[in-house]
Amino acid sequence: MIFGDIRFFALFLGCWISFFALPRRWRPAVLAVWGGAFYVLYAGRFVFVVVALAVLVFFSGSGAVIPWLTGIVIVALLAFFKLTSVTGALPEGPANPIAILVPLGFSYLAFELLHVVIDRRRGRIGTVAWAELLAFVFFAPARVAGPIKRFPDFTAAVRDAELSGEDVYAGILRVLMGFAKKFFIADMLAFTVSEGSYFYSMGQVWTIVLAYSFQIYFDFSAYSDIAIGFARTLGIRLPENFDRPYAAKNIREFWDRWHMTLSRWVRDYIFMPAGQRLFQTRMRRWPIAIAVVSYLTAFTIVGAWHGLTVPFLLWGLYHGAILSLYHVIRLKTPLWLAGHLWYRSGAADAMRVAVTFLCVTVGWVPFMLPLKDAERVLALMFGF
Amino acid sequence: MTGDSSRRGVRSVRRLIFALLWLILIDQFAPSLLRRFEKGRYEATTQFRFENADLFGLGPLVSYLRENPHGRRRRIAFLGNSVLFGYGLDAPDALPAQFQKLQPGNLVLNMAVNGSQLGSSYLIAKAMVDSVDTLFVQVVGEGADPMLPALIPVADAEVRMFRLPEPDPLESRLRSVAGIWRMYALNYRFQAALFGTSTRQYLYLHRKDIGLRLVAPFYAQPAPAPPSWPMTNATAMFRSPRSATPPTGTRRMQLRREHQLLWEFADLMRSRRKRAVFMQIDQPVNALIEGEVADFNATYAPFAELIIVSIDPGLKFDGRHVTPQGASVVADVLARHEMQQRSGR
Repeated sequence: MIFGDIRFFALFLGCWISFFALPRRWRPAVLAVWGGAFYVLYAGRFVFVVVALAVLVFFSGSGAVIPWLTGIVIVALLAFFKLTSVTGALPEGPANPIAILVPLGFSYLAFELLHVVIDRRRGRIGTVAWAELLAFVFFAPARVAGPIKRFPDFTAAVRDAELSGEDVYAGILRVLMGFAKKFFIADMLAFTVSEGSYFYSMGQVWTIVLAYSFQIYFDFSAYSDIAIGFARTLGIRLPENFDRPYAAKNIREFWDRWHMTLSRWVRDYIFMPAGQRLFQTRMRRWPIAIAVVSYLTAFTIVGAWHGLTVPFLLWGLYHGAILSLYHVIRLKTPLWLAGHLWYRSGAADAMRVAVTFLCVTVGWVPFMLPLKDAERVLALMFGF
Repeated sequence: MTGDSSRRGVRSVRRLIFALLWLILIDQFAPSLLRRFEKGRYEATTQFRFENADLFGLGPLVSYLRENPHGRRRRIAFLGNSVLFGYGLDAPDALPAQFQKLQPGNLVLNMAVNGSQLGSSYLIAKAMVDSVDTLFVQVVGEGADPMLPALIPVADAEVRMFRLPEPDPLESRLRSVAGIWRMYALNYRFQAALFGTSTRQYLYLHRKDIGLRLVAPFYAQPAPAPPSWPMTNATAMFRSPRSATPPTGTRRMQLRREHQLLWEFADLMRSRRKRAVFMQIDQPVNALIEGEVADFNATYAPFAELIIVSIDPGLKFDGRHVTPQGASVVADVLARHEMQQRSGR
């Protein structure tokens, strides 16, 4: 875990001291330099790829070709790394340069850069300063596992950052909470999950799948907590990424609470534009069909973002399908039922939470296992 | 609003200073606390083995032994894989613990770890040879675990010899600087001394006990049924051939070339005037044949001895790992052999 590495602590301490010791106007440069050092340390020569992308993004503010070209290059690189790192298409080992160039946090970086390119084209981001762009690209706490930042919010946060005891204290507490979540909950659940090298009974697979469901939440939210905590000690507020997702009463609410920065990115740059485009076609007569197509497209891309393999794509499609189903059910629920006392009772809410959690948990099966094992586990879970 | 915010800021700074003072205060007592915990775990025990058969506890134990080269009792360490660790057995049933029962005057340390090979045993032995009196080493494989340089002192030559990853110099330097904070420097040793493994592994391994203890006031817990192992008349065969005369120089060269690691291990023991008993259990890959064993024993006696142990399948529960009875039979054979050796010397 990079966050637990003493070299990360040393780099961050150096960054923290120089961030507040040097004049305020140098802050973006400070973050860029220390972040660059962090990237060189953990990703080696891959830093050149990131700098090259930053150069493309920097010049993507003008003309019609460069933004498209930049976007295509980012997506192509993301697809390349997803293919090579997940399927192992390239042989590993120190002799292979690709194996050394680990794309540290590249999925997050790619979406952040795409957001800058798209929003510059939409006119939502004005002039971009070099130092600010590099600080955004290399900001170390968020480079490991998100959250996915937005450029205007980040630059404003850096500009307004103040040294405050409250922020330092809250940041340290958040980091400690993240480590506790990771080491004492997520890693212990991981021991239970790793017991499943052989699946033999319904009880055993349910235990493992439930353990995984909580492991992935605690693990991922721990990384977010640590990133947010480190940034907070600098007085920089990063966006929250999780908001008790397993307490969601429906699948749409789940995606409003789970990996929130990814959900918002997908909403703003895939779901909404796709929907708007479809509304300009003959499909506008069938708004439900537009919603279904948009959900399926958006979540297939979310699946591909996690990994370009069949199980991840299936996981994405599954979420797209249940979101579509929920959308249809919500629209078709008769008014007399929606207004019924029982329908709005606490018991009904508890049932909704349980059903949503169950749907999400079942969805983790192809996410955690190879397809063949996933089939066997799903069959065992439901007694087939 | 601003007043509120500045008050919160002052309160936070006060809390940070308070936490820092606490950390400094606790740090003063860290070494003495650690000494107490480690003495309790490593010296006062009668059935020492790692809580979990992984490498976590190894580094702290080797550090302790290096800092305390002489204990109240003679120290005997067992190095090997899951067979010696006692896979599937409770700690008192493992082979080294059974050996301890037969030699209560000695301190027997079960330092076996799952999947460990002779290369790992050699590096571990080299790091602590001055702090133990006798080693029992299982001869299996030749590799060394790549984690070892991060856990115990390993010379550069050995890092290259076993193709181990070299420790990152920046990380090592930072660690030594951060070592000023003793709780940081000693945190692995604290965990190993308190739990015998990492805290999270301990919590995981004992999750049921901890859970039951928490609900104990409300719930009468039935006594756990003892595991039943079948008793058999099976036994273990043991041979320690030794040539009448030491082998010639050419023969020694040839044997050294063929089993270089084993011979270097024996050289180490002889140079430090310590004893190692190498155990070749049930014909592992690259096993030495009888003549080679005899020549090895003639060369290194009494400092190193290679014994061939054949365990009857009836004393194993999965074709590889021994039952408590199997461990007891082998421990008995080893203890008697050691008594004879010591009285003969």
